[in-house]
Amino acid sequence: MTASDLRARLAAGTRAARVVAAVHQATWRKVAQRDAALAALPHAAALRDRAAEIRAHVLARLPDYLEQFVAQATARGAQVHCAPDAEAAVRIITELAVRRGLRLAVKAKSMTSEEIGLNAALERAGLRVVETDLGEFIVQLDRDRPSHIIAPIIHKDRRQVAETLVRALGCRYTEDPTELTQIARRHLRDIFRRCDLGITGVNFAVAETGTLVLCTNEGNGRMCVSRPRVHVALLGIEKLIPRLADLPVLLKLIARASTGQPLGAYTTLITGPRRPGDPDGPEELHVVLLDHGRSRILAGPHRDILRCIRCGACLNACPVYRNVGGHAYASVYPGPIGSVLAPLLDGPSHADLPRASSLCGACLDACPVKIDIPQRLVALRAEHRARRPRAPRVGVRLWAWVMRRPWLYRLGQRVLRQMVRDDGDGFARRGPGWLALWTAGRDLRRPPARSFRALWNEELRDER
Amino acid sequence: MNADPQTPAPPAALATLLARLRAASPGDAGGDAPGAAPRPRGQPAEARSAPRPADPRDRRAVPADHRDLRAVPLDADRVAVFTAAATAAGLIVHHARGTAWLPTVLAVLEKLGARRILLEPADTTAFRAADAEVLAAALRAAGREPLVRPDDDTLFEGVDAAVAGVAAAIAETGTLVTASGPQTARGTSLVPPALVLLVDPAQIVGDLLDYFADPGLATALPANLNLITGPSKTADIEGVLVTGVHGPGHVHGVLRGGGGEPGGPNAPRTPVF
Repeated sequence: MTASDLRARLAAGTRAARVVAAVHQATWRKVAQRDAALAALPHAAALRDRAAEIRAHVLARLPDYLEQFVAQATARGAQVHCAPDAEAAVRIITELAVRRGLRLAVKAKSMTSEEIGLNAALERAGLRVVETDLGEFIVQLDRDRPSHIIAPIIHKDRRQVAETLVRALGCRYTEDPTELTQIARRHLRDIFRRCDLGITGVNFAVAETGTLVLCTNEGNGRMCVSRPRVHVALLGIEKLIPRLADLPVLLKLIARASTGQPLGAYTTLITGPRRPGDPDGPEELHVVLLDHGRSRILAGPHRDILRCIRCGACLNACPVYRNVGGHAYASVYPGPIGSVLAPLLDGPSHADLPRASSLCGACLDACPVKIDIPQRLVALRAEHRARRPRAPRVGVRLWAWVMRRPWLYRLGQRVLRQMVRDDGDGFARRGPGWLALWTAGRDLRRPPARSFRALWNEELRDER
Repeated sequence: MNADPQTPAPPAALATLLARLRAASPGDAGGDAPGAAPRPRGQPAEARSAPRPADPRDRRAVPADHRDLRAVPLDADRVAVFTAAATAAGLIVHHARGTAWLPTVLAVLEKLGARRILLEPADTTAFRAADAEVLAAALRAAGREPLVRPDDDTLFEGVDAAVAGVAAAIAETGTLVTASGPQTARGTSLVPPALVLLVDPAQIVGDLLDYFADPGLATALPANLNLITGPSKTADIEGVLVTGVHGPGHVHGVLRGGGGEPGGPNAPRTPVF
């Protein structure tokens, strides 16, 4: 991906007015809900510290906890598979589905499965795959991509959802969210009755007990783990926590950070498949451990990013995400977390994403496990620059050359002051001359009436 | 690899992954790549060469007990905290004193307009087999149809509401806990459009931290444990809250008990999980 691609995508994102308005409204609401929920939580700051410690501790001893998890899960009847990369994970899941003659797969929302492109492979193998989270269901019907890791259709309004459901299901047109939800419910209920394979991600995996934890709201996740005869859980290896007693620290934070709820509607703990005598539940539980770049990240300077619990709070808090939407990132994970994860997981094709940030630090403030995302972004920018030494340095050299000549700097300021014209609201949408390159991706603040130098010389100097 | 005879040798792929992680593991300070921030919790250098044993007790980095951060004090009125939190989450809470649980449940089912009602008793103090028999008789007398262990078609299309007992409840978040087992199906608290869960106030734990710190929980985990907090919900369409997506849209919690101050500071607690 070239720099101009990124610029074009950012510009396209900001031009889609309906999308921008929808995303603004939704993200601001989520930020307010998150703030209120955390303000009402006793020991919120200490809980964040503790959660960060737990996650850092796990990463420091990941092989030990992974080994413990595998032993415990296996002892309780789960079959654990190990996938070094996306291809291996897809092959493992496809093969086990084909060997058992499974036909209809239901999926709960899983960003990890988006990461490995699972649906297409299963469909090539002859399975029907149905996304059952309401947002993901709409995304699948539209052949679209999720634009938020928690709210996949944050970029769509109710009319677009209505049009999709009418086109795909032939239902009556309505714009009422309750009716639209009921239409999807009725359609998916029949599928839940007939499905034979359930595929989910995992929010946390408890090493002590071999337990998988799913945090959901709609109930589709519970359907996926209790209706089909085979449940496959795709587990990013970094999602482990040491003990059951550590789980509530993270539970107290994840839903608050994500949606402002003290706890989601359903927190499901899965410890092995259906047991003898159980009236329902999957006969087989398969856990697919996915590395796909995680061990490489763990070995490098950016390992703190693996503390992430995928709550989406940094997306909601980010002024760039809010204005360009998730699709502009062109990666599985959008927003601040995506700007760090995408280059690390997928390499050079996303190397310029760390530039899509103003480094304002809102993501760090929002992160329930206190990942210093801005610091990671700066480090990734430096790595990217080190690989492409020439071009960006021309600008820096020119700047340094001007800065060494105060008369030239003053002249430049004066010229710019004359040339930059705002659009009436204090911002210039299109800068003069070469500045148009800069304003292609950002708005330029109108220069203040007096420069800081003038202010200093005339007033502030004496107040020292 | 681990020589523990009870652990079968992991497949080659897992062994490879563990070896790769051990080589990359930042558990030792020397594992840091150049330029990385110094790790606050370094380990002595000798740990680097020898494979470290998987010892879950080695938790120097993180406190073993998080209950210092509990939100609900031990002496709190757990019934009051539960009621407030559950109501905020969209659960409808009923307090039934003495034997009033029966008329309360009947009134709830009447209001829901439920005709075919799934009853699922279990070995907890919340809803025993004897309770289910009493309720079934009352429902039949009222012209309703009580069902036990319905088949799949009936569960999906022919049940208006389910009545079951909880395994535990958590005051902090207003959460009701159901556990899978020979008597309790995963589908009961999930598939019917309305759910009535009976709670013995003595089952209410104060804080999430207290619930998960109970050593009895880790050793007795069922295959499927559900913490249910309010009705099934989504806000996927324009952030508008809609209840009753795939799980029940109407969830009622009926606290039964013998009057007095159940669940108060001195109330006995019977941890089921």
